[in-house]
Amino acid sequence: MLKRRTTLCALVALLSVNAHAADDPYAAARKQWDKFDTYCTKCHNNDDFSGGFSFDGLQPEDLATHGKIYEQAILKLNAGMMPPLGQKQPTMDERKALVKALETSLDAVAAANPNPGSEMLHRLNRTEYANAIRDLLDLEINSADLLPKDVESSGFNNVASVLSVSPSFLEQYMLAAREVSVQAIGKPNAAPVSRVYKGAPNASENQHIDGLPLGTRGGMVVEHDFPADGDYDFSVSGLVGAGYVWGVMDENQLIITVDDDKVFQAKVGGKDDLRAVDLKQAEGVGMINDRFRNIRHFVKAGKHRVGVSFIMRSSAETIEPLHGFVPVDGMAVLVQGVSGGPRIDNITVAGPYNPKGVSETAARDKIFICRPAQPSEELACARRILGNLAQQAFRRPVTDDDLASPLQFYSGGREHGSFDDGIQKGLMAILASPKFLYRAHSPSGSSGVFALSDNELATRLAFFLWSSQPDNELIALAQANKLHESATLQQQVKRMLADPRANALVVNFAFQWLHVSGLEQVNPDKTIFPQFTFDLIPDFRKELELFIGEQFRTDRPVGELLTANYTYLNERLSLHYGLNVVRGGQFQRVTLKDPQRFGLLGKGAVLMTTSYANRTSPVIRGAWILDKLIGTPPPSPPPNVEAFPETQEGAVALTVRERLEKHRSNATCKTCHSIIDPLGLSLENYNSVGQWQLKDGDAGVMIDTSGTLTDGTPVKSPRDLALALTKDPERFASTFTRKLMIFALGRNLEYYDMPTVRKIVHNAAKDDYKLSALVLGIVQSDAFLRDKPVLEKDVTVATQ
Amino acid sequence: MFLTKKYLPRRTVLRGLGAAVALPLLDAMIPASTALAQTAAAAKPRVGFIYFPHGAVMNKWTPTKLGADFDLPQIIKPLEPFQKYLTVISELENAPAIAEPVHAVTPGTWLSCVHPRVSQDPYGGVTIDQMMAKAIGQDTPLPSLEVATEEEGGEGACDRNYGCSFGKTISFSTPSTPLPMEHNPRKLFQRLFGQGDTPAEREVLARENKSILDMVTGDAGKLRKTLGARDQTALDAYLDSVREIERRIQKLQANKSSQPDLPPTPAGIPDRFDEHIRLMFDIIHLSWQANLTRVTSFMMAAEVSNQPYSFIGISDAFHPLSHHQNNAQKLDRLAKLQAYNTQLFSEFVKKLSTTHDGENTMLENSLILFGSNMSDSNLHNHYPLPTSLVGGAAGKLKGNQHLKYAAKTPLANLHLTLMEKVGIDIDKVGDSKERFKEV
Repeated sequence: MLKRRTTLCALVALLSVNAHAADDPYAAARKQWDKFDTYCTKCHNNDDFSGGFSFDGLQPEDLATHGKIYEQAILKLNAGMMPPLGQKQPTMDERKALVKALETSLDAVAAANPNPGSEMLHRLNRTEYANAIRDLLDLEINSADLLPKDVESSGFNNVASVLSVSPSFLEQYMLAAREVSVQAIGKPNAAPVSRVYKGAPNASENQHIDGLPLGTRGGMVVEHDFPADGDYDFSVSGLVGAGYVWGVMDENQLIITVDDDKVFQAKVGGKDDLRAVDLKQAEGVGMINDRFRNIRHFVKAGKHRVGVSFIMRSSAETIEPLHGFVPVDGMAVLVQGVSGGPRIDNITVAGPYNPKGVSETAARDKIFICRPAQPSEELACARRILGNLAQQAFRRPVTDDDLASPLQFYSGGREHGSFDDGIQKGLMAILASPKFLYRAHSPSGSSGVFALSDNELATRLAFFLWSSQPDNELIALAQANKLHESATLQQQVKRMLADPRANALVVNFAFQWLHVSGLEQVNPDKTIFPQFTFDLIPDFRKELELFIGEQFRTDRPVGELLTANYTYLNERLSLHYGLNVVRGGQFQRVTLKDPQRFGLLGKGAVLMTTSYANRTSPVIRGAWILDKLIGTPPPSPPPNVEAFPETQEGAVALTVRERLEKHRSNATCKTCHSIIDPLGLSLENYNSVGQWQLKDGDAGVMIDTSGTLTDGTPVKSPRDLALALTKDPERFASTFTRKLMIFALGRNLEYYDMPTVRKIVHNAAKDDYKLSALVLGIVQSDAFLRDKPVLEKDVTVATQ
Repeated sequence: MFLTKKYLPRRTVLRGLGAAVALPLLDAMIPASTALAQTAAAAKPRVGFIYFPHGAVMNKWTPTKLGADFDLPQIIKPLEPFQKYLTVISELENAPAIAEPVHAVTPGTWLSCVHPRVSQDPYGGVTIDQMMAKAIGQDTPLPSLEVATEEEGGEGACDRNYGCSFGKTISFSTPSTPLPMEHNPRKLFQRLFGQGDTPAEREVLARENKSILDMVTGDAGKLRKTLGARDQTALDAYLDSVREIERRIQKLQANKSSQPDLPPTPAGIPDRFDEHIRLMFDIIHLSWQANLTRVTSFMMAAEVSNQPYSFIGISDAFHPLSHHQNNAQKLDRLAKLQAYNTQLFSEFVKKLSTTHDGENTMLENSLILFGSNMSDSNLHNHYPLPTSLVGGAAGKLKGNQHLKYAAKTPLANLHLTLMEKVGIDIDKVGDSKERFKEV
């Protein structure tokens, strides 16, 4: 209660100060200036120069020139990271007053001298390229196989300044242009190519897998693009093994499906196979596996789902354990032997053999908007087709000049081949052009700040909300020069957020913000977590995707990301969480009573990403919270610190908390760890794989989750923490906005962006900090609508 | 029609992507226009930089005997058949690699010995493979080749302060241009030998590539006119790349006669990690044989690689195992894994030894640095580094020696020495003090 009143007071103070700001932007800061001498200059002075800067001699009038330092100071003060432990501490009210004063003055200076920042020439990254191809051609490409991975900056892979180009890079984009255009048109005389799809190394083969026919268990399913109508060879490998004999104990029926049609069925295992492996070992295995190689089947061109799985039997018929066995890295063979079931290592699709032309596909439907009935119509039709594709690919109306090259390539292709061949070459030319690969803002007029053109704005919006190119509606509005109008812009943002393509905000923005890609790296120790199967990783992702997706779709206040009382579960995940509420492989929305799974902090994806393979890490979790949710990443530990004490054989086992306390007995360590650790320890009731635990895994005693945050708030549960983090809604909204703005602008945030962030968050208050209000705030900010040509490269500041 | 030089006045000038940053030191460092002439007459070595992550168990790497006919401990044992061409150099340190993040700047500083700036946007040092590429790589279709086996390793290859660039590549062509490393053998093969399934189809597509480049040049030129100054500079990096590929196509066509018989294009990434490493070595060998490049950098595994080596009975993931905590069993397994990496490398060396290159074998003409930029993976320190040289460097490497320098001698001294071996006369690389005369 007390806290709320203080915030309110500060708000009132802020408003009243603002009134005078126009006269003297430094007035607010001047009133608080003595605080620096009281609390900061003991270390940040000209002699000690702690952290590489000094407050000595700095005056309120220097605020603007040293904006970088003062914005850092605001972040550190807000997070309670400065002054450090052991130094004289300001009271909460003093702290808030100083922060507000600095913000007020910095904002006033910025208002008088706005700086929208500058976005660099922006290259499509791998995800954007794949999405653009999807929207342009209705074609799913395997971008990971075609294009190099992009470098990240501030945790995001769409930051223009690091999306560089090298010869090898450019070459791959050229190869991709050819491969994608051939794939889209189809290749009637395609030479056979083989592609291997690896199965997940530790996937359980005992349960039904989404995407495969009901009544099957295990296996894998892939989308394969078949370049022509023709025969294709399917091979399944690694089914059975010798040594520890596995896969052959009893008879299983393996089936191959194409779009759910069974194209092959044969038995594997059983008496004869067991005998063959027993007697001949490797040779026997080879004979069995050979039966599942090069199974030929005719498939029409286009995208088809290829599945390999086993026919489900009643558990009474099998020697497998009733509940899934546990595949263990390296020991898989032994465990498979126990289980007895065959496994699917990988499947290969090779072909086409005896190609018979190309049937109609979704991509061809999208491309061929006209068909020449006679040769004399060909050129006009080619012009229509390529004009239509180029307008979308170049994200603006095209001129004759734009079409000159694609048409030239068309003619070359037509001369040596069919009309289709000509279109393929023309499409390749479009995809290889820098007009497709780059997004640019052209300075209009003089050298100062300029507003983006409507076309540039349409592109920027589409890549922010959809990670893809603008659609025809956006392009049409831009052409009519209406998009920048406030009402239109708002209406378009709402429309775009409601579009399925906005899922990019979840899987592209939010997943990068929360660093979900870390999930694949954890590799939980199977001897400690035998209950964990690798199928849970996609489940964790799906849960998070559906949860965040609903928050965006239903436009909830941003703080509910941490507190919302529902989640999405399938049977496997619900059992993993100890909630016996869902049946089957499909995800269902579940309203929760127990706060254990509320919000982001209760989601397995977050909890496992922030753990080690063999134990939890309150430090990683604490640092993750500081970085992702509070927005002030802690510094890295100094080099050569002693490693965290692992439990040694024979020694008395300590809890993670006890080991942590031992670890941070050093005073230097304690400065940061007293901030980091309580955050992480409050989540200590979740183990490495995100299950609720009451006892410490090693020590076997009840876990103590209690701790105190820097502002004095006691926390001892995930719920306490979520409430503490959202107590001041502006704070979490601000962190979220900063992360979203990096993604929206495709550049790192600089200190001069902070006034914009504060304005967006402040304006969103009346809308309850709803997600759409923050998105709209960004879209309507100068940083988004304007640009500024820059000669000197801006140096990045760690304000994110 | 080929590119005009309109937008690219100075191909040898180093350029950051972001801006026309002034690089006085670097311009002075690389006498790009003279080196080629100086080295043209001499036999040119083929240079390889073969990196393995996570250091080595040093007491199983470092020979006890000094000088010639030294002993080969477990990890370098697989190189025994080639001891005549092997130099092990002990007690080197890469001090500029010391940083808060223990993995994130390690690969990218191995060949530069320059401590990067604290910035999400990379700014470090040019690596010696790229300095060499500029000097001796200009008469082959590819100045250099950058190869890896994994797109990325686990957590820790990125850092809050230094970004991700230094953790994922060992090659920087300018202080701000990390070069991506190709890990997909199919893509690498296509880039080296062309798309297309038959020589005739490759030929047709190569011609088509030339037309694409012409078009791209024209398009980029028009785009450039509409941009601000900084973005023009950024686009120049793109145009540089276009020109580079054009040059490569020209060279390839001039070079056609030396093409070896090509095996079929690899279907994709092999199942087994060791097969993947082998395949990449095979393609490197093929590219050397076809005279496509002189300079090659290869990361055998990613920094913070989590690959288990179950094919030799090691089920632990590589990186967690490298945190061995001085546990004897873990150290044994780690050394076994590291020796296996050397084994895979030695298979490549063996191929070089049976391939003719002019009057010599390719091994005699090669200069290969095989090592890591970390020492003890439990401490993440950068001293003493496991460092070895393999090959005859066209008569410039003595071989069959174990050299031990004073404690913490800069690794950069070796880099400076290697630069001299390939005919590049510069005064300094990173924190180098002097050249090694003994190598």
